[in-house]
Amino acid sequence: MAEGTNLSSVEHIKRKSDGLRGGIPEGISNELSGAIADDDQQLIKFHGMYQQDDRDRRDERAAKKLERLYSFMIRLRLPGGYLTPEQWIATHHIAGDYSTGVIKITTRQTLQLHGLLKHHVRPTIQAFNRAKLDSIATCGDINRNVACASHPSLSPAHAQVFAYADKISTLLKPKTRAYYEIWLDEEKILDKKEEEDPLYEDRYLPRKFKIGIGIPPNNEVDVLTNDLGLIAIIEDGELKGFNIAIGGGLSSTHGNPEHYARLATVIGFTAGEEKTLRAIYEVLTVQRDWGNRSDRKKARLKYTVDQYGAEAFRREVEKRSGFTLEEPRPFEFSQRSDLYGWERAGEDLWHYTVFVENGRVLDDEKLLLKTALLEVAQTGKAAFRFTSNQNVILSDIRSEDQQAVHAILEKYGVLAHTDNASAIRKNALACVAYNTCPLALAEAQRYMPTLITKLEPLLGKHGLEGEGITIRMTGCPNGCARSANAEIGLIGTAYGRYNLQLGGDRYGLRLNKLFRENIDEPVILEELDRLFGLYSREKLSGESFGDFVVREKIIGA
Amino acid sequence: MLAPAKMKIVEDLVAGSVKEELIWLSGYLSGLVASGGQPKEAEPEKKALPKITIAYGTETGTSKKLATGFAAAAKKEGVPVKLVGLDQYRLGDLAKEEYFLTVVSTHGEGEPPSAARKFYDHIHANGFKLQNLKYGVLALGDTSYPLFCKAGEDVDVQLNKMGGQRLVDLKKCDTDYEEDARQWFEEVLSRLTASGPAVPAPQVAVPKKVTGKKLYTGTVLANVNLNDRGSGKQTHHIELAADGIDYEPGDALGIIPRNPQSVVDAVLALTGADGAMAIPYKDEETPLVTLLQKKLNISCLPARVVRNYAALVGQDIPEAPIALTDLLRIYPLKEGVSIADLVSLLEPLAPRLYSISSSPEAHSGEVHLTVARDTFRVGDEVRYGLCSDFFSCLPEDSVLEFYIHRNHQFRLPADDRDVIMIGPGTGIAPFRSFLAHRDATGATGRNWLFFGDRHFTADFLYQTEIQNWFQTGVLTRVNTAFSRDQQEKIYVQHRILEHAADVWEWLQGGASLYVCGAKEPMSVDVEATLLQVAHLQGGKTAEEAVVWLEALKEEGRYLKDVY
Repeated sequence: MAEGTNLSSVEHIKRKSDGLRGGIPEGISNELSGAIADDDQQLIKFHGMYQQDDRDRRDERAAKKLERLYSFMIRLRLPGGYLTPEQWIATHHIAGDYSTGVIKITTRQTLQLHGLLKHHVRPTIQAFNRAKLDSIATCGDINRNVACASHPSLSPAHAQVFAYADKISTLLKPKTRAYYEIWLDEEKILDKKEEEDPLYEDRYLPRKFKIGIGIPPNNEVDVLTNDLGLIAIIEDGELKGFNIAIGGGLSSTHGNPEHYARLATVIGFTAGEEKTLRAIYEVLTVQRDWGNRSDRKKARLKYTVDQYGAEAFRREVEKRSGFTLEEPRPFEFSQRSDLYGWERAGEDLWHYTVFVENGRVLDDEKLLLKTALLEVAQTGKAAFRFTSNQNVILSDIRSEDQQAVHAILEKYGVLAHTDNASAIRKNALACVAYNTCPLALAEAQRYMPTLITKLEPLLGKHGLEGEGITIRMTGCPNGCARSANAEIGLIGTAYGRYNLQLGGDRYGLRLNKLFRENIDEPVILEELDRLFGLYSREKLSGESFGDFVVREKIIGA
Repeated sequence: MLAPAKMKIVEDLVAGSVKEELIWLSGYLSGLVASGGQPKEAEPEKKALPKITIAYGTETGTSKKLATGFAAAAKKEGVPVKLVGLDQYRLGDLAKEEYFLTVVSTHGEGEPPSAARKFYDHIHANGFKLQNLKYGVLALGDTSYPLFCKAGEDVDVQLNKMGGQRLVDLKKCDTDYEEDARQWFEEVLSRLTASGPAVPAPQVAVPKKVTGKKLYTGTVLANVNLNDRGSGKQTHHIELAADGIDYEPGDALGIIPRNPQSVVDAVLALTGADGAMAIPYKDEETPLVTLLQKKLNISCLPARVVRNYAALVGQDIPEAPIALTDLLRIYPLKEGVSIADLVSLLEPLAPRLYSISSSPEAHSGEVHLTVARDTFRVGDEVRYGLCSDFFSCLPEDSVLEFYIHRNHQFRLPADDRDVIMIGPGTGIAPFRSFLAHRDATGATGRNWLFFGDRHFTADFLYQTEIQNWFQTGVLTRVNTAFSRDQQEKIYVQHRILEHAADVWEWLQGGASLYVCGAKEPMSVDVEATLLQVAHLQGGKTAEEAVVWLEALKEEGRYLKDVY
């Protein structure tokens, strides 16, 4: 229907890729370069990897007659962000053997490793496979890792909701065997009919596709920022079904109003697994058929929804599903942060949420976090759940084991680290940006901790140290760390410069807006100091910073 | 009857003769009268000249050129000649030789060229006598090195010990060998023909003086460490601009390093000597400080110098290489020992040779080097090889003197012939020259490079240039081996073996094979692998494989520049 005559180049690459194989095997065995061919760089995303290079090192290496320092980022498929302790141990060692050693918890509850050299990709994937982990479809124009509210203590129905993440992930996995063939030495498929894919065909989706499942009242997953958000409706501890919201996505382009951030629109409600999965599936088929395939910047579902209208989109989904969606049920979000420290869920289970700044698990001079987590995993007493705020919950610990885990966390100072982190630090998010992200215009995760250290005294000065203001930074307007959906958003415009955006609400239901354009650190600090002062003096009781700046018309709502 | 003058001669003759002579003389005269003729013009019998063997041990081709010139001159004089390379020489033949002339150069620490190694070891094995041998040795060397002409000396002494007689004395030639070599062979020829009448000295054709040691002055245009951060190595790519520079791909650049001023100062301080003092050295009076800076090896004294020093100062000193500063610090000069005595036992500061990594066709007016910085530890202290350190620290725009060291043995084949190059580490240097040359000249032969080092990301020397040559088709194939990127060590020889079928096919098709880099273990392992390739792909037995490789060498298609 919307199949344009001039397809974007990526569309051609996908179609002639022979089931996402392309020239990847040849590229991997090429001895001259640490990179793979340009076209294959598009395809390898579907296998869960990005080719990157160390942008700090480009000039120096060129002078040495060396090519760029290419490496690969690999992202796991972890529906709902769950690992057994054995899988964490495996990941710990794989990270040490083949990557920079840092295990990065992403903003969508999965793990990624950076800095894999080309010849380490295959051994990495094989080692993950032995731990029953894969990276299929975690990047690329396809359904990505399915996020789901992670705290088991949120609801007695949590386990039931959580199970959907895996079901959806399996339902929407591509049928090609390329991953197994290329990386795991599976024998080549002779009869290509075996991998015929009625969902993705040979063209996959027009663009990335993200699904998140939220459990009110905690909107930790930022459910409305997904292409498809499911809001679990739980009554009396029982899962009734899901509100379905479509068309979320936070990417934008500086100076181009055609490209914008958008929160998802709730279009209906489904009850029961069969109908819910069917409706999800058909949202993807409609986007597959209606989405824009000539302009990748207009290819996300949010633009399709706005072009056709949410109503028309819903009717098409209903037509293809063979049933109508029910009226959305009421829901309310009143939290978005993680439940740090110990919490008890159910009869006999304990969970400890560890604060992990920017999701980076490593040992440094201040904290041996990676060692501590390994030791916890080695007890075999705790599972690992990752949150959309890039933290880890050591979960499902029995009462009799709680003390052992506690002792390890105490020994390595993890308890103190989590307790002592300020409210603003715990509510901060930053994307990867420099030095590996090719899109970054400015620093993010390398800079955010320093900026927060400078903001903490300002908040203290105004008596706001206890306020969990959400602050998020991204190195570009693509919004990986959901900077458009925070009370304070900092979006990189150039090296050392950011757009300061204000007015988002605390729970992820209202986007922020541009307040000051292209400013550097002194101006950022000066502006926030002034605004914190105003907020401290003039806020209403219980009023969040985001709501305050809107009410005071500091920013237009 | 006789004129007085003639009568005087007869009287003198008779007076000076004994009785038997007078009887013979009277018979001679009467016989002469009876035959009724004049005495014949003294027509000496054309005596059969002895057959000679001229054997050469060559590394860079100079010995071979000289020996070939000698053989041609001898033939012209009617002397039958067998010309043979020492690497081809049947050692069993030596005992049968009557006239044996050899030209031997000296390399490294007084060693014979690798082509003469077998011969050298054979005569030193000492189990036989050479009763009939008359021989001559022409030794080639370079006075800038310690142990000047040592290999030639050894051969001369050993052949003598074994019962050989010197036809001519040993002649030691410096880098300007032409005239000395010509004279030596003239003497050889005159001795060979000495039993007959004097023959005019034949003109021995010696190659005309090509380089001697023509010194060039170069300006450093660039000096880049090619290894990335985190590498355990430092390999410097140095570009020099030099007017009128003349060299060919395969040649090396020679440089005489300077000792760092800090070390020179330390020596002066330790000895309390005056740097301005003139010291006799090689027939000249030279200020001590100049000798220490430019002429003498003070950075690492070999054991034999340490031994001499121990005798000089009358102390027990372990015979191991040591820096002069360390030696003076631990075992100071005694009172009364003069600084000139110390200088006289020191060895010259030897030039260092580096394979040139540029091509005159591609890098006009420039010469490029690829120099690994030699790092080693003395106790807890990290030290650097003198010359490689000098290069590593050479800033842009600095000026240095150098000469071109010809390597006639390491040349590209005809433009349409295929080339296989095996050059791990700094062994890549001449192949960068080859490839740049073939790229610039549009040579049609195919090129296959094997490169290796420790790590792909940090140690892939000239990676982007190699990628370009591969993309533009100059390089037909490239294989790399990075030894430390995986559990098991992978080296170039493993890659050769992986591609044995194609390597064999290229060689059967006439390709030339070049090896450059570390002599041990690399070139030894590569050679063993080539034999394996001949076995696996050519179905050759172990002996046949050796013969095959020898033949390849003889055809000039298996060439090594190893160190």
